[in-house]
Amino acid sequence: MSIGLAKYWKLVVSALVIGMGGHAAAAPAVPGQELVRTYCSGCHRENSGSFERISAIRKTPEGWVMTLFRMRQVHGLVLEDAVHDSIVRYLADTQGLAPSESAAGRFALERRPNAQDMDLGPEISVMCGRCHSIARAALQRRDEEEWRKLAHTHVGQWTSIEYSASGRDRPWWQIASGPLPAKLAALYPLSTTAWTDWKALPARDLTGNWVVSGHMPGGKDFFGKARIDREEGGGYKAAYQLTDVTDFEFAGESKALVYTGYEWRGSAQVRDRSWREVYALSEDGNRLSGRWFDSEHAEEGGEWTAIREGGAAEVLALFPQSLRAGSTTLVTMVGNGLASTRGAPASFGDTAKVTVVQNEANRVRVLVKLAANATPGMRKVSTGGATGKVAVYTQIDQIDVVPAYAIARLGGGKAAPVAAQFEAMASTRLPNGELLPLGPMTADWTSIPFDAEAKRTEDFKYAGHFDARGRFLPSAAGPNPAREFSGDNVGNLTVVARATDGSRSVEGRGHLVVTVQRWITPPIY
Amino acid sequence: MSELKPTNRKAELLLDAVAEGHVAEVLAMETVAGCATTFDPGWEVDPFGGVASLCQPMEADLYGCSDPCWWPAQVPDTMSTYPNWDAGKPSAPGDWRDLDSVFPKK
Repeated sequence: MSIGLAKYWKLVVSALVIGMGGHAAAAPAVPGQELVRTYCSGCHRENSGSFERISAIRKTPEGWVMTLFRMRQVHGLVLEDAVHDSIVRYLADTQGLAPSESAAGRFALERRPNAQDMDLGPEISVMCGRCHSIARAALQRRDEEEWRKLAHTHVGQWTSIEYSASGRDRPWWQIASGPLPAKLAALYPLSTTAWTDWKALPARDLTGNWVVSGHMPGGKDFFGKARIDREEGGGYKAAYQLTDVTDFEFAGESKALVYTGYEWRGSAQVRDRSWREVYALSEDGNRLSGRWFDSEHAEEGGEWTAIREGGAAEVLALFPQSLRAGSTTLVTMVGNGLASTRGAPASFGDTAKVTVVQNEANRVRVLVKLAANATPGMRKVSTGGATGKVAVYTQIDQIDVVPAYAIARLGGGKAAPVAAQFEAMASTRLPNGELLPLGPMTADWTSIPFDAEAKRTEDFKYAGHFDARGRFLPSAAGPNPAREFSGDNVGNLTVVARATDGSRSVEGRGHLVVTVQRWITPPIY
Repeated sequence: MSELKPTNRKAELLLDAVAEGHVAEVLAMETVAGCATTFDPGWEVDPFGGVASLCQPMEADLYGCSDPCWWPAQVPDTMSTYPNWDAGKPSAPGDWRDLDSVFPKK
């Protein structure tokens, strides 16, 4: 079936407008279905409004983008951007994942570098995880027969798959096409009450003012406000007014779509950088949280949490999150219902003298003078009607390098390098022996050989170097005639973070592998 | 070795190596280099968690990965999905800078 261009554009516009007005249940079934019928049913036969294979699968927006990419790359399906985006929107809205279903694999959608992949046991780990993340499979829903067809698709498309990546250590095909599909269908079935219940919930409107807190690994954390408004065409636009912990003020703006009723996908411009935003809206529609990252370098990014302004009293974040006994520190608290009043003055507990510097509903700044004999430990903080927590310490006893294990990739030519950002997370040891986390601290960063072989091949000399913020910048890719066998500038390194605490030096260590580039960079690894 | 007789000069060199006590070096040369149906060194990390046993330089054997679809999640397979990925770039060690990332940003 084909439709005229004019009629098509009416369908697209209707889809966009109606799509944002409703939730998954109220999604524009007719226009979206019409697009699938027009562009997909040539291969995916339609039976009573269902399309072979397509209608038997649920995926995230990124999952559907990857499907359409494969359709283009392998089957020659060329779509205009507007059509592509509308189909992704329609499929994510009507055949998406409920929040509880995508929760375990969000790290993959958020492109978190060096995240630990999911563990679904040895059989699925070797079947799926030897090539791509387990999360890529776990972010899909199919029945048994459809999971089995996926095994067939793999063999048809990647014909040596049965032999590569150590596949012949077991009867690969017999497992992939035999018992495994039923196991995947039991874990990730097409029909779930989670999805049925989610579709039945009313759509949330994100319009309004939001209070923001952000973390930038290796950089300066920030806080501020966001104003979100509807955009013509069905999306949202957001304006950010942010302040970092050194009081530097900066602004940003974003354009976003919300898929499946909760998946915020934004393109933001903040200062001079382009961000991608992958956030999830909470079920009550009052919290938007996730990860932002550089649009060219997904490994560079940080945390974002926003709560609706005027909601229940809550301390969203404190800057800093730990205080040294005997110190005087300017503390910023952001959240809702924070303004200190005569009836509810700001309090940092015993032996803390508090002077209010700024006193607003969403931002309170106080000068906290802690007595030298303040008891180390986590203590309650209160201001207005809200409470939070702050760690009190006398000395730093331990530094953990986070992530403890990281990968960086060489870059050059058309493949961008992938840096590795580390943080030195400080802890103090309490009298009962427990470690109390104090948050990230400034450290000096170096790398040394991880083992004797790395020492022999002088990996530390070739693989790259640290900058002052704990970011390892890998060297250039390509054969290096100066190395053994003209090897690439790969390296197996121990990361050393050294910090000073008064006259003491505290050290933490991690592991960094600097390895070769990859040429396939999908939204879900 | 007494059961075998060399039939060319390279084989004679092997006998010489044995006679001169270089057996260990000869055995070392039998180490499999590159991916095979009995051995995968790994793409990012070797089986020992390091990088010393990876193919090095990777570019020397890159088309040995892309042609037989060996690391299909990291290296575009020219067997079926990206048949033109290496078109006009006959030497990976010389042309690797011109190889595209295949997944567009959008």
